[in-house]
Amino acid sequence: MEPTVNIRTARWGSYIVAFLITALIFATALYASNYFNSRRAAEIKATQDNISVDILSTETQFELLAEHSCADIEENSVLSSEIQPLASRLSYLELQPNVDPSELIRLKRYYSLLEIKDYLLMQQVASKCHLKPVFILYFYSNKGDCPDCENQGYALTGLAQKYPGLRIYSFDYNLDLSALQTLIDINNVKSDLPALVIKNKVYYGLHTIGDVETILPELAKMATTTAATSTRNR
Amino acid sequence: MVFGSGVVFALLFLSLYFEVFLLVSFLERRFSTPKMRADARPESLPDVAIIVPCFNEERALGASIESLLALEYPRGKLSVIVVDDGSTDSTLSIARRYESDSRVRVFTKENGGKHTAMNLGLEHTDAELVGCLDADSVVAPDALMQIAPLFTDARIAAVTPGIHVKTPKTMLQHMQHVEYRLSLFNRFILAVLGSVFITPGPFSIFRANVIRELGGWRYAHSTEDMEMALRLQEAGYMIANAPNAIVHTATPPNLKDLFRQRVRWTYGWLRNAVDYKHMFGNWRYGNLGLIVLPFAIISIFTGIYFFARIVFYLFVAAYQKYMELHYAGFHFRPSAPDLFYFNTSAIWMLVWVSVALILVLISIGSLIGTGSRRPPASTPLFVIFYSLLVPLWLGAAVFRAFFKTGVRWR
Repeated sequence: MEPTVNIRTARWGSYIVAFLITALIFATALYASNYFNSRRAAEIKATQDNISVDILSTETQFELLAEHSCADIEENSVLSSEIQPLASRLSYLELQPNVDPSELIRLKRYYSLLEIKDYLLMQQVASKCHLKPVFILYFYSNKGDCPDCENQGYALTGLAQKYPGLRIYSFDYNLDLSALQTLIDINNVKSDLPALVIKNKVYYGLHTIGDVETILPELAKMATTTAATSTRNR
Repeated sequence: MVFGSGVVFALLFLSLYFEVFLLVSFLERRFSTPKMRADARPESLPDVAIIVPCFNEERALGASIESLLALEYPRGKLSVIVVDDGSTDSTLSIARRYESDSRVRVFTKENGGKHTAMNLGLEHTDAELVGCLDADSVVAPDALMQIAPLFTDARIAAVTPGIHVKTPKTMLQHMQHVEYRLSLFNRFILAVLGSVFITPGPFSIFRANVIRELGGWRYAHSTEDMEMALRLQEAGYMIANAPNAIVHTATPPNLKDLFRQRVRWTYGWLRNAVDYKHMFGNWRYGNLGLIVLPFAIISIFTGIYFFARIVFYLFVAAYQKYMELHYAGFHFRPSAPDLFYFNTSAIWMLVWVSVALILVLISIGSLIGTGSRRPPASTPLFVIFYSLLVPLWLGAAVFRAFFKTGVRWR
């Protein structure tokens, strides 16, 4: 290229043009990031709607049980297989900046409600059909007052992977949802988190996979069961 | 967390702004295409003396001198002054071999640093132009003809060449090959902005009477090339760039040598920045004072900050992974990649834009230096690995500059 030189006067015009272009790039990036996060929230909402329909369908099936055999309604069918990825997706969304907090809380409340519905329905199905599903209710906090919650989440994720038939329902202890607060009251769970409710008994503090296996010796028989699980655990 | 994100956004904005500013300036220059005045008639060409300061350069010196003697320039108007700066190897005897050529003169002195060698060469010439060629560099035959005619413009006190890596062999040299393409762009665009602040050792040419008027070369924290350019700018002279004047320079083949060289450069830059702090933010120096010098400093701290942040997050992620494996055990379940988890945070998008702009600048550097927009094949290596290496010597140089520890050439 040709040689070049110039006097060194300030180029105010170029400074302004560069500033406007940079500002435009920033605005586009922020807008695009918000747009993709909104798309994620909408995707989660759609999945939750699907799960809601699944549960409604199962409830209806359950009401029809008098006319059908328990073989028609297996415990596997209650929870949609989408609920596990949904839990992970919600956790991921929670970590993203620029996510509308009120939308996030709405999604979490919806998710918790679906879990409670599923939990109650499973108890009824189990009772009527003489099934013996194993439940764990897990209460955690995201407010920074529960240093062991993250590790408890890892342990429960590992447990769910080891025992696919195990049903783990996880709840944000501080979530403003009356149904959840009722569940907390019924089980008499204090704010000393993390807390696990297993067979109506509350266990506080970090429990490893080995600890839970000791509490639930029947897990050994469940290794081959293939029910879907729910693990919102962080 | 919020403060950290704020700092990241602010630094990203500044980095992007500077990249965009350079690009806008380049496009403006591209569309205006001003021609520099240049008188290339043989009778008008000025006398030129090229000083080759050398200290223990027995391996590279011969090739450097031979390339100078092969320059396509009127024989009677070119002289080569080799100054042996107290070498302890066979540098002097190698230089003496070339004294049979009437254009070559050899001087030897006690070791005193590059500036003393340059000043000795300056004392022994009455040429109108005086140049420097580091003994680890070789020039293309037409390099001087690309530069000398530009001094027709009396306001020009110095002209810098287009510097390329000499036969890259190691992976590190290939990465520097890309870096030098970026430097080709930087040197060119800084000349467009009237803001060149380095007159590199490999074949920068100066107007001799201006150098004398300014007091010759002086000790400048092992980066005399930088100090001289700042002094020229301070005195109001213009520094041009002739990218077609091609010089090939040897680059460090291994990390240890590269690290030492770059710590020296960055250390020298920081110390010189302190010495010339009155130019920073000073509108009297135009683009140089308002944009170029401040951003050159900011870029050092931006590099260190981003690197420290990346290292911190890598440690946190590694710790979390360890805890996850510890508590959950290892359960491998192959799954298809989920677009849901594709990182679309604004910060990442801006980082990608910044990387894309750097690729554009490398491409322009290639266009300026070689006439082809195609970047070197090792560009991906440069983008991925070099950005992780740079903060290491930036950090070391800042530490040394803060404590004024000094640096060694070798």
